[in-house]
Amino acid sequence: MSLTVDERWDLIDRISRETVTVGEYKETLTDVIGEITIKPMTGIPVVIASLYLFWSIFGSFAGFFTDGFFVKFFDQYWLPWWQLHFPDTWEWLYYIVVGDPLADNCLEAFGMLTSGLFVAIGVVLPAIFIFYLMLTLLEDVGYLPRLAVLIDTILHKIGLHGYAIVPTILSLGCNVPGVAATRILETRKERFVMMTLLAIFVPCGAQLGIMQQVIPETMGLVLLYLVIGYFVTGFVLSRIIPGKSPEILMDVPPYQKPLLRNVALKIWMRMREFFTSAIPFVLLGVLMVNVLYLAGFIQWLSSTLSPLFVYWFGVPEATVGPLIAAFLRKDLAVAQLSVIEMTWYQMVTAVVLVSIYFPCLATFIMLLREGWTELLGSLAVLIVVVTVYGGFVHLVGILAGVA
Amino acid sequence: MRLGDVYFALLGAVTLACGFADLMVTLSGEYCSWWIVEVPGDMFRGGWGGLIVLFAGLFYLSGARNLSEIHQLSKVMMGSVLIWLIAGCDIFARITESIPGGDEGWFNSMEGFLGGCAPPYFPAMLLLPFSLVVIYYIHKVE
Repeated sequence: MSLTVDERWDLIDRISRETVTVGEYKETLTDVIGEITIKPMTGIPVVIASLYLFWSIFGSFAGFFTDGFFVKFFDQYWLPWWQLHFPDTWEWLYYIVVGDPLADNCLEAFGMLTSGLFVAIGVVLPAIFIFYLMLTLLEDVGYLPRLAVLIDTILHKIGLHGYAIVPTILSLGCNVPGVAATRILETRKERFVMMTLLAIFVPCGAQLGIMQQVIPETMGLVLLYLVIGYFVTGFVLSRIIPGKSPEILMDVPPYQKPLLRNVALKIWMRMREFFTSAIPFVLLGVLMVNVLYLAGFIQWLSSTLSPLFVYWFGVPEATVGPLIAAFLRKDLAVAQLSVIEMTWYQMVTAVVLVSIYFPCLATFIMLLREGWTELLGSLAVLIVVVTVYGGFVHLVGILAGVA
Repeated sequence: MRLGDVYFALLGAVTLACGFADLMVTLSGEYCSWWIVEVPGDMFRGGWGGLIVLFAGLFYLSGARNLSEIHQLSKVMMGSVLIWLIAGCDIFARITESIPGGDEGWFNSMEGFLGGCAPPYFPAMLLLPFSLVVIYYIHKVE
């Protein structure tokens, strides 16, 4: 039996009349608050406040553990212990495992067990933990769907819908689950635009943590450049990539108290991912960068690419090495940049370049899992964006008289 | 609820003034301290945080009429929530900054910790106790 659309609606009406009982509805304060946080006029101040809460708690918590305890432990006890006890029979092995024998802090030593562990445990772990805790709370309270509704109009300008905010926020923790979360978007076009934007413009928690550590004063400017780049590139991509960006219907649940068990479970699952995939990548990243340095490959690449970096991007030649290392770990690349002598604006440009430059190895593998076409397309966009946007940041510096 | 209307209108005006002060001091780029009040001058706490205090003031002012009406009360409540949020972040930051001992040891001494938590305070922290009055009105309505 086939029914026309009108007949189906009639049938739905009949069934609902017979089965649904409508009682008297009394609006509660929670309902009204839910309404307030979804209307642009009152909802946008709440978005601004929620983001403030997010970053303030993130900065205080990560700073408490990193600056308060881990820096002291790693610089005063861990590094000297390794420098004293690791046998220096093979100079290359010492360089790979412990790093620079003259370094007096773990950020500059750049050994696998010194800088590698310091970054993974001392910097990234507290940052990732508090990030996922805050994200889970916002999610479980019921605020994320409201944020998605509020941001829907803006994201439509770049060919995405409100739920694209979920992979974007997840990527601020780690790009890997962010790329995986793009599957909630319906069309291939939406997924491609989202993945490309995540890979280029969204810094991960590790990178944010290390940026907070080494460039706290200029971090805001770096993030501003990334936000502008995210929207401008998204706008351009949404117009040149063929395909559809359909409308969606969103279910906005009422506000509710988060359940401790759910919060704990979600954080555990996300942290487990970090322990099993990110920490080995950090250590592997340091190992490979050190091997490439020892083999002279990075020095060769630095001299080959230096005209582009020095004249087009306006950064010192020495930044090429960290940029190559960024392919393995972007957070480590920022740490390496912090010890290079340059002006504050060159530092901003270099950190923006690290962020928009090639996605880290883990993200690269995730993109590959989504398909070769997506990966190659994203890389093509990335090369164009890095060249154009990097030059643009330099140009802004020249015009402002700071570059 | 007439008293409540007047109270939140006054609180709204003071909150709005605090938000303005935060923004003005941020624009000047200096920290400003007077008696037990310290107005932050950095972009994050003074600029971004000041903007939120300003929004809180606007929420109070737009809701401070006929508080028995649930939509009006919800605006006042939102104003208080924004104050709790900013003040909560300030208190959390103070506590986390006061616990580590710096160069002198792993943990701060009790005097050092209490010194870190002592005045002057940012405006949102001083507005916090006054914003809690909204809880009474919520209970009254519910």
